[in-house]
Amino acid sequence: MTANPDTTDRTATDDSSLAAAVDPDRDVDVPGGVETHTCEYCGRPFPAADLLVLHRGLAHPDELDDAEIEQFRETYRSESDDISRFRIAAVGALVLLYFGFLFTYILVA
Amino acid sequence: MARSGTRRRRLLAAVVALASLVALAGDAVAHSGGLRNATQDPISVPTWLFLTTGGGVVGASFLLASFVTDRQFVADVHAWGRAIASPGRIAALATRTFGVLALAATLAVGFVGPEDGPRNFAILLIWVVWWGGYVASTYLLGNSWPVLNPFRTLAAALPSLSLSYPERLGSWPAVAGLLALVWVEVVSPLADDPTLLATVISAYGVVTVAGAVAFGVDRWFESVDPVAKVFDYYGAVAPVGRSDGGLRLRLPGSELREARLVDGRDEVAFVVALLFVTTYDGFVGTGLWAGFVRGAVAAGLPPVVVYLGAYLGGFALFYGAFQATARLARRTAPTFLTGDAVARRFAPSLLAIAAGYHLAHNLGSVLVLAPAFVAVALAPLSPPTNPPVLVGLPGWFGGLELAFVLVGHVVAVWIAHAAAYDLFPGRMQAVRSQYGVTLVMVAYTMVSLWIVKEPFVSPPFIG
Repeated sequence: MTANPDTTDRTATDDSSLAAAVDPDRDVDVPGGVETHTCEYCGRPFPAADLLVLHRGLAHPDELDDAEIEQFRETYRSESDDISRFRIAAVGALVLLYFGFLFTYILVA
Repeated sequence: MARSGTRRRRLLAAVVALASLVALAGDAVAHSGGLRNATQDPISVPTWLFLTTGGGVVGASFLLASFVTDRQFVADVHAWGRAIASPGRIAALATRTFGVLALAATLAVGFVGPEDGPRNFAILLIWVVWWGGYVASTYLLGNSWPVLNPFRTLAAALPSLSLSYPERLGSWPAVAGLLALVWVEVVSPLADDPTLLATVISAYGVVTVAGAVAFGVDRWFESVDPVAKVFDYYGAVAPVGRSDGGLRLRLPGSELREARLVDGRDEVAFVVALLFVTTYDGFVGTGLWAGFVRGAVAAGLPPVVVYLGAYLGGFALFYGAFQATARLARRTAPTFLTGDAVARRFAPSLLAIAAGYHLAHNLGSVLVLAPAFVAVALAPLSPPTNPPVLVGLPGWFGGLELAFVLVGHVVAVWIAHAAAYDLFPGRMQAVRSQYGVTLVMVAYTMVSLWIVKEPFVSPPFIG
C-alpha cells in the first residue's frame, strides 16, 4: 500500500481541465501581506513557490524550457516524500480504526 | 420535489391498513416496507456505535482514496466512456406523447377519480411510479426528463415570447422553487388527497408553461424550474449522459468531477438544498422533533412558525456549514482559491449522497406498492377496494438500504478527491484540501443514519 509514489504516479499532463478550471479574477482571493507566486501564463497566484512550479508543469507543459521542466520533475519527486509520510500515517489511522471498531464491537455487541 | 419518506410512509401506512383489513397480513407488511423498521430489529448494536461505524466508513474511504495520487489514473477513470446509439426521433416523439398522456390521465383521475388516496391512480402514479421509480432511473440510468417532461413538450409547441431572462437571478429561482415545492409537500396532505395533488400539479403546470413561453424553453428549464434541475443533477450521477449531441456511456458518478456542473453560489445552494430537503423530511418524522414541536407550541409558538423556522434555519445551517468547510481548504491546503471556488468543485459530490438516500428511502415502498399501482391502473375509475401489496420483503433488505446510503457517501468521497486533484497542482495539497469536506460528510452520514434508525413518529400539527 505504501508503494513509492515517485515510481507509480503519472502526471496526466494531457488532462487539460487543470488549466481551464480556475479564473484568477473570480476565483482567487489573496490575503494582504502574504508572499505570492503568480503564474506568468494564466495569472493564478500560489502561496508557495513549489506549488507554482507544479502548476506550470501540469497546466502549461508546452510553454516551459528544459530547465523549468527539470525543476518541475525535481519538485514533483520531492513531493513524493511528503506523500510517503502521509501514507504511513494513513495506514496507521486505518489500522487504528479497524482494530478500534473490532474491539469495540467485541466489548459492546 | 425532493420527496421524501414522510408522505410516502404515510401512504404506505394507509395502504397497509387497507390490506390488513382483509388479509390480516398488516403486521408482516408493516415490518417489511420501511427502512426504519428494517434497520431496527436485527442487531443489538447500540445507536452510538451504529452511527460511529457509519462515520468511520466514510472517514476510512477518505484515507483509502488518499492513496490514489496518480493523476493519470484519476483522469483515466473520469475520461473512460464510449458513445452509444441514441434513440431515434420516433422514440423521442413516442416518449413526449406518453408524457403528455400520463399528465392528462393524472389530472383527470386526480379530479374525478376515487377520493381515497391509496386507491387513486394519480396518487400512486405520482408518488410510487414517478417519484419513487422514475426519479431513481434518472441517476441509475440517465436523465430522460427533458424528453418525457410534458410541460416542456407543451411549452415547446407554443410560440415563445423570448423575453430576456434577468441574468443576475442565476439559478436562485430554482433554489426558492425547490424549497417551496418540498414545503408544500411536507405540510399538506399531497399524498392523501388526489384533488389537492391534481390542483398543485395544475398550478405548477400553468406557472411552468407560462414561464417557459415567456423566457424560452431552454432558459426556463435550466435556471428556474426546480424539477428539471433536480433531474439534470441526478442525471450527472448516471452511467448514461449526453455529450457532443449524442449519448455516452461512462462510469456512474464520473461526470460529477466536471467543473461546469456547478457554476456559482446559486448552484451550490441548489445542490445543498436538494440534500437538505431529504434530511428535513426525514427529521420531522422523528420523536425528537415531535417532542420539540409540542414543547414549542405549548410555549405559545404557532406550529407553522416552528416548522418553517426549522426549515429555513436548517437550510441556512447546511449551506453555511458547507461553505465554511470549503473555506477551511484555504488554510489546510493551503490555497488562494476562494471558498466559493472550492465549494463549486466539491458540491457535485453531494449529488451522489442525495441519490444514495433517495434510493434507500424509496426502493422498499416502490416494491411494496407496485402491485397496488398495477391493480389500480387497470381500472382507475373503479379500483379494487383493497389494492394488493407486496408482502414480506426479506430481512436483508434493510441492510441493502443502508448499503445504498454508504455507497453514496463513498462515491462522494471519491468525487471530492478527484475534483481536488483537478483543482490543485500539489498532490498533498489536494489531499489536505479535503479535510473540511470530509468532516462534513462524516457528520452528515451520522445525522442521516440516526434519522434512518429512529422509529417514525407522525409529525404533529400537520397533514
